[in-house]
Amino acid sequence: MKQKAWNNIKLGVFVLAGLLLLIAGLYLIGKDTNLFSRNYILRAQFSNVEGLVVGNNVRYSGIQVGTVKEVKFLSDTLIEVRMVVEEDMQSIIRKDDIASVGTDGLMGNKIINIAPGRTGAPLAVENDLLRTEEGNSTEAMLAKLALTNNNLLEISNELKKTVQNINTSRNLWRLLNDESLPASVLESLANIRRATEKAQATVADLQTIVADVKAGKGTVGQLLRDTAMAVSLADAVKGIRQLENRADTLATQLSELVTTLDNDLATGKGPVPAALHDSLMVQKVHSILSRVDTSAARFNENMEAMKHNFLFRGYFKKQEKEKQKQAQAPQQ
Amino acid sequence: MTLNKPWADFLDELGGIARFATRFFAQVFRPRYEGAELLRQCFLIGNLSLPLVGLTSFIMGLVLTMQLRPSMVEYGVESQIPAMVAIAVVREIGPVIIALIFAGKIGSSIGAELGSMKVTEQIDAMEVSGTNPFKYLVVTRVLATTLMLPVLVLIGDSIMLFGSFIGVNIYTVTSFPLYISQAMDSLTFQEFLPAILKTFFFGFAVGIIGCYKGFHTSRGTEGVGRAANSAVVVSSVWIFILDLLAVQITDLLGYN
Amino acid sequence: MDTLPAITPAPAANSPQSLVLEASHVYKSFGSNHVLMDFNFQLYKGENVVILGKSGSGKSVFIKCVIGLLQPDKGSIVVLEQDITSLRNEALDHLRAKVGFLFQSNALYDSMTVRENLEFPMRRHWLAGQQRNSESLVQEVLENVGLAHTINMMPAELSGGMRKRIALARTLILNPEIILYDEPTTGLDPITAREIGNLMLEMGRKYNTSAVIISHDMNCIKLVADRIVLLYDGKAYANGTYEELRRSQDNIVKQFFE
Repeated sequence: MKQKAWNNIKLGVFVLAGLLLLIAGLYLIGKDTNLFSRNYILRAQFSNVEGLVVGNNVRYSGIQVGTVKEVKFLSDTLIEVRMVVEEDMQSIIRKDDIASVGTDGLMGNKIINIAPGRTGAPLAVENDLLRTEEGNSTEAMLAKLALTNNNLLEISNELKKTVQNINTSRNLWRLLNDESLPASVLESLANIRRATEKAQATVADLQTIVADVKAGKGTVGQLLRDTAMAVSLADAVKGIRQLENRADTLATQLSELVTTLDNDLATGKGPVPAALHDSLMVQKVHSILSRVDTSAARFNENMEAMKHNFLFRGYFKKQEKEKQKQAQAPQQ
Repeated sequence: MTLNKPWADFLDELGGIARFATRFFAQVFRPRYEGAELLRQCFLIGNLSLPLVGLTSFIMGLVLTMQLRPSMVEYGVESQIPAMVAIAVVREIGPVIIALIFAGKIGSSIGAELGSMKVTEQIDAMEVSGTNPFKYLVVTRVLATTLMLPVLVLIGDSIMLFGSFIGVNIYTVTSFPLYISQAMDSLTFQEFLPAILKTFFFGFAVGIIGCYKGFHTSRGTEGVGRAANSAVVVSSVWIFILDLLAVQITDLLGYN
Repeated sequence: MDTLPAITPAPAANSPQSLVLEASHVYKSFGSNHVLMDFNFQLYKGENVVILGKSGSGKSVFIKCVIGLLQPDKGSIVVLEQDITSLRNEALDHLRAKVGFLFQSNALYDSMTVRENLEFPMRRHWLAGQQRNSESLVQEVLENVGLAHTINMMPAELSGGMRKRIALARTLILNPEIILYDEPTTGLDPITAREIGNLMLEMGRKYNTSAVIISHDMNCIKLVADRIVLLYDGKAYANGTYEELRRSQDNIVKQFFE
């Protein structure tokens, strides 16, 4: 009989352990769905919620504060999102705070981000409507990046064409052979060629990144998870835009120069042949060439800078390592 | 119309089990209640299965994590291991693996015990001793398996997650609270509750089939072995069938 | 069949002859196998009646009908003035407390000690009053069968003869009025079988019981039987004392005594 009572006690412990684990499990799962904490409702209205569903998380400045309770149409262009927010946040969230639909990581669930409005509005109470901002989503950013990329590619192609023109322009070479400027011209041409190559390489790299990111894999995928990172990426895109413009001018200038020279030399008319021995003309050509030179150098610099942008650093490093590996492989 | 023999046998057994289950429900709420025997069976079925379930659960969690890791690292989602393991364990692996182990240990022992009681006339002896053997033997055991398996699964799930935690810590360092919060964040009630609910049905299946096989043992000691064996086989198959039903029902109800 | 010797019930030990068990026109069949066909049987107080028959002739089926483990297809079985075929649940349990059944395989509960085995029917039958002195009752009945020292042993530790004695003790502990023995000496060596036979007689006297004994062990039958009923072809084919049947000229009866 003693044994029996003891067995019953052990059984009790066993069942109690199971019950405690059940409660713990329910609590741990439930703490994000706000079943066990007191909370209040806030609202926000969007024209597009990008796939937000009931149960998605609500974050305030990046901290989990609640979940989406309801998503419903108010009209064909307006969707209202009702959020369940922890009661503690009543002393934090203000009426002017800005809600936006974001993504939890690049491939993650949709979330509502609430950012402080900083205009000193009164605290938000139950059922208040928050201001909203249609977020610039990662997808939009990626699309922009791809566009930039294509532009870069075009420019670099143009550059290449120009260089080819220069290379094949017999007249120009004759002119250069004839005169004393060859050294600097050659140098300039080399610079331009290098710039072109670099630009092409970068474009190729960028394209791989975009493709990778779109496929959602790799380190960049992780890099882009963070919204802060995404902002930097936007900056980088802007930088690339500027670069593009500059490269554009450079290419135009060069191409103009070459065409003019070509034409003039071929026809034997115009100022160029006449002035071939004119030192003023030589000086002019010199100055143009030096301008081309600086442009190319600056383009180079820009490319270099982009490579060192922290955002892509890791990626390029990896590329380099792989290249080394490939270079080493045949040696072994 | 004639059925070929395997089908006829199969349907015969299915009908027999259904009738047996009906008899169980007819008896379970009617006095007299065998409380002391129920507690004893709960102890034998629940507590004494815990070491086996605990050990296998721990190993399962550990191995699962170690096997998953290389692929997860390759895809760069190493940080998702806890979430992935938690979903796999809580939704499917925990309930099914533990139920299968349970069927192996408890189903066979019920089948053999009742089978030997049957062939040595102990069940008849019980009946003439003024005891309803169905109540005393079957109702208590089926109730015990139905109630104890969910407890075992809850404990086993926890041990699996702990094993997985150890598995993660073989390669990197993660704190236990972080691990738990990562694991649990990915789970919802819609996943957790149906997973626990279905274990009641698994437990019921193991109990009722073990008892049915034991109660319908014939042909002496050879029959006892066969009862134990087929109790395990049939209840294991039924665990999978019920699992399939469970996932379809939760899917229909939109809880998937 | 009318060649049967005239049946004169053997005088019982107790002077007023009273019927404790009467089966009339019992039919029982399993599928197409007709086991009992118009079987009639009487048991008087204090009497030990042996039912003799071939294996599978339905002897066990009959006593299982008597205790309510099986339902006859037709006919009535009156036990202690109650028709057992019409009893259900508690009334049936109540009657069963007065009828002991010694199983062929003893049917001791493997998972319980000897003490628990003996206490089981007492606890189950809710015999108020007996609950209190169950401890002393267990002791007493164990001493009667000569196995007091086995009280805390498990059935698996006992020999065949000991198990049979414990099983007998378990039926005796409720102080039944009728005991049904299902082949009590099967599987025992002749010496042990004789011991069990003597014990049955002794206990019958001590506890003042009537007994129905199924057996085909002629030594045992010779020892314990006040009267023998020969079950043949589903009917009570012959009826008489051991000596009467042994001297019978009927071919079928002679088969059993050769």
